[in-house]
Amino acid sequence: MKAIPKPKRVAPERIDGRQKVLGAVRFTTDFSLPGMVHAKILRSPVPHARIKSIDASRARSLRGVLAVVTGADIATMPDPFYGVGIRDQPVLAIDKVRYVGDMVAAVVAEDEATAFRALELIDVEYAELPALMTIADALSEGAPDIFEKPSSGVSLPVGAGAQSLKEPSRNVLYEFRYARGDIEGAMRQADHVFTDTFTFSRIHHYHLEPYVNVARADAESIEIWSCNQDPFILRNDLSRMFGFPLHNVRIHTAMIGGGFGAKSYCKMEPLVVFLARQVRRPVRLCLTMDEAFLTLSKHAAILTLKTAVTAKGRLIAREADIKLDGGAYSDASVSTTIKTGYRITGPYKWDAVSTAASAVRTNTVPGGSFRGFGGTQASFASESQMDMIARRLGLDPLEFRCTNMLAPGEPYAPGDSALDSDFEAGLSKAAHLIGYGASPKKRGRGIGLSVGLKDGGGTGNQALAEIKVSDAGEIMVRAAAVEVGQGVGTVLGTIAAEILDRPMTAVRYGEIDTDHTPLDTGTHVSFATAVTGRAIEQAAIDVRNQILDFAAERLGCDRAELLLSGWKILRGNQSFPLQKMLREYYGPVGTEFIGRGRMKILYDAAAPLGSQNYFWMPCWSAAEVDVDEATGKVTVLKLVVGADAGRALNLPACHGQLEGAALQAFGQSLFEELAYDGPAPVNADPMTYRVPLVTDLPGEFESFIEEQGMGPGPGGAKGLGEAGMLGIAAAIANAVEDAVGARVLQLPITPERVLAALRARQGDAQAAP
Amino acid sequence: MQIELAVTVNGQQKRLSVATNRTVADLLREDLNLTGCRVACDGEVCGSCTILIDGLPAAACATFAFEVDGSFLETIEGLAENDVLHAIQQAFLETNAFQCGFCTSGFIMSVKALLTVDPAPTDDTIREWLKSNICRCTGYQTILDATRLAARRIGIPA
Repeated sequence: MKAIPKPKRVAPERIDGRQKVLGAVRFTTDFSLPGMVHAKILRSPVPHARIKSIDASRARSLRGVLAVVTGADIATMPDPFYGVGIRDQPVLAIDKVRYVGDMVAAVVAEDEATAFRALELIDVEYAELPALMTIADALSEGAPDIFEKPSSGVSLPVGAGAQSLKEPSRNVLYEFRYARGDIEGAMRQADHVFTDTFTFSRIHHYHLEPYVNVARADAESIEIWSCNQDPFILRNDLSRMFGFPLHNVRIHTAMIGGGFGAKSYCKMEPLVVFLARQVRRPVRLCLTMDEAFLTLSKHAAILTLKTAVTAKGRLIAREADIKLDGGAYSDASVSTTIKTGYRITGPYKWDAVSTAASAVRTNTVPGGSFRGFGGTQASFASESQMDMIARRLGLDPLEFRCTNMLAPGEPYAPGDSALDSDFEAGLSKAAHLIGYGASPKKRGRGIGLSVGLKDGGGTGNQALAEIKVSDAGEIMVRAAAVEVGQGVGTVLGTIAAEILDRPMTAVRYGEIDTDHTPLDTGTHVSFATAVTGRAIEQAAIDVRNQILDFAAERLGCDRAELLLSGWKILRGNQSFPLQKMLREYYGPVGTEFIGRGRMKILYDAAAPLGSQNYFWMPCWSAAEVDVDEATGKVTVLKLVVGADAGRALNLPACHGQLEGAALQAFGQSLFEELAYDGPAPVNADPMTYRVPLVTDLPGEFESFIEEQGMGPGPGGAKGLGEAGMLGIAAAIANAVEDAVGARVLQLPITPERVLAALRARQGDAQAAP
Repeated sequence: MQIELAVTVNGQQKRLSVATNRTVADLLREDLNLTGCRVACDGEVCGSCTILIDGLPAAACATFAFEVDGSFLETIEGLAENDVLHAIQQAFLETNAFQCGFCTSGFIMSVKALLTVDPAPTDDTIREWLKSNICRCTGYQTILDATRLAARRIGIPA
């Protein structure tokens, strides 16, 4: 019998692990309330139209239907609009639809089947307008306005050298500009200026747990059980939109069954609350996966980079013109645009930089958060062009990168924080693991490298945290960082358990409820380990001090003489069981210690984004491919991905995050795409939208975690949840060029595109003298 | 229209009355409170709702309840005995073969069916079986590790 290899790693048990392998986790999809009824949504079949009339009388008269709500009802809300920064999305379409899938009406019925049937009985008359399906359409001469009037809200504030412009021109939602140095002088002085344009594809999150919300409401209060990963942002939105005091809005957040950004920020939650108020019963809205495809996507983008270098290969300057397809509504387009524009220069030194990035409104699914937003688009373009320039100058792509790379301690940009990872060390390791330069090149085979970059922790973000510790030493961690699968409860619990010298079996992560859980600014930007982690560290130290103060008083000594170890107080050679001491003083019910912490990333007007970046997230990537020149098929023989955890608080979880993100990027690189052909996406359903399966795995797939110890979190830790998404696409594109000399500038790298690039290469060869 | 069903669920015999338009997933999740059967795509694509019907993996979301009259159903809730994890669950736990956990029940049930049919599967066989389940979190490597580990442990006679 063939020996079966041992698993590579034996992981410390995650605190949510048993519940998950038992199938016992209660997700929001499993939640119900007595008397609960069900909602369904009627969506627009046309991409751009005025709503001439809606006749819901037949639907209303169907037995079991409790209410049909349209934009006219929604318009009576104190504020019916939501969005991040710029708030342009109505709870239901008011007067106009702006994409196929736009929410037009909602039905509440006793059961889902009746609600579905009722949707078919709503008659909507549309007066169609020209559809603007692409960035080019939206910016073309004579294009109609997708929004006729300015939207409410603000562009996000930025700092030195940057500009943030709300709705600067027709169909442009937002523009970010950033410049430093003498760009014209630098361009003139350069030996070479290379201009290349890259096209980044639109993909969907394909989270398995559907979008689901259950809401109840009465005249004074709103309560919602939501799969949203931003409970306090949602509380703010609901408070503003319904005119309720913050403390009369209560959000419950269970564990989330996958999000990858899809479940961030306000979406259909206000609608569910509106419906619950309307019918005076608890209402559940669970979207189908088909509807999820029509709710949010990763921004497609066109990025043109003009990069100036010396003959010897020193980078001098970069000009970037970036256009993101924001889709019909704002969602998180403003922050995605800022981050794409700012990250486009990669981990390199420049004399001058000038970038303009805009989010263009089109009649497509809104673009929003998706793992590494902005960083993924920027890294694909920048790292593809880095390779192309090296090849044009006859330089080794690895050496070319390393010569121009920022060292740890050097600021990313003037006014911003210094890099806190050794980008060169990690890239060298990835190169080593892929066998870069190790063996003679085989026909049709190639190796590509790339180093993705993203800032992490967020701009000005904050987290509060609390731990409650029983007299038996059981630790309840309370923070608003949502368990989306990343293992945040385990990581935060580890920080507290270490400080209080308790085993992980003593740790629980409290269920999130905005009435009780301390606030944070949302589970985003690989934030929790470093930012919430700092707050937890303070909270645990606070508890340890309270315990030592208590013991010092009881023992009549100085706190400095005491140690907390194994839930005992140690004083020299003496040992005092802590629970016994506590019970003697507090009686049989015992007591609890409550410790608190708070962490805020400071604002700083001298930093380009208005706050120095909290930490830097590298994604060291390497791919070895085989390209079939007859068919254009790319086979990834080996994929290597590495990240810097600073300090890995849970090493298996770090590998898991990195590999999971890398496989998402791998799918996007080769085949995965939410594709439009005409007014609607052609594959917005789980059957035809292709995500990587286990049979799609690269021949070899290796992840490595560096622990370089320079992060701002506890023990030098930092986040890496988004990292694996950043560098993979460029590494594969670079490997394809290394293999057959064909450069694919557009994702996904399909056989058709490889064949076209091969033909272009032959065309170049024939055209050459 | 309602019909009467006799099914065995995790070893317990049940007589149930269900509407003809209801699926096995509805029956398990809503009538029997067995919510470990997760419905994601609701279209027989992702494998999250995988249960065993007479020992073979099936999509509970795409099987009508009336189709399972007289069948033996096994769900994730039936695996552990007296709070002791099944060897496959234990292997998934030890190798971190889950993140959000939404696909986990379906994967574990697929592995259970696989190891019943083939207690010592090759890597290719494992991949062929598990390609009917989608995990969007892990990148699959730990799920392959878990399956190999479970096979090794189950293969050793007690």
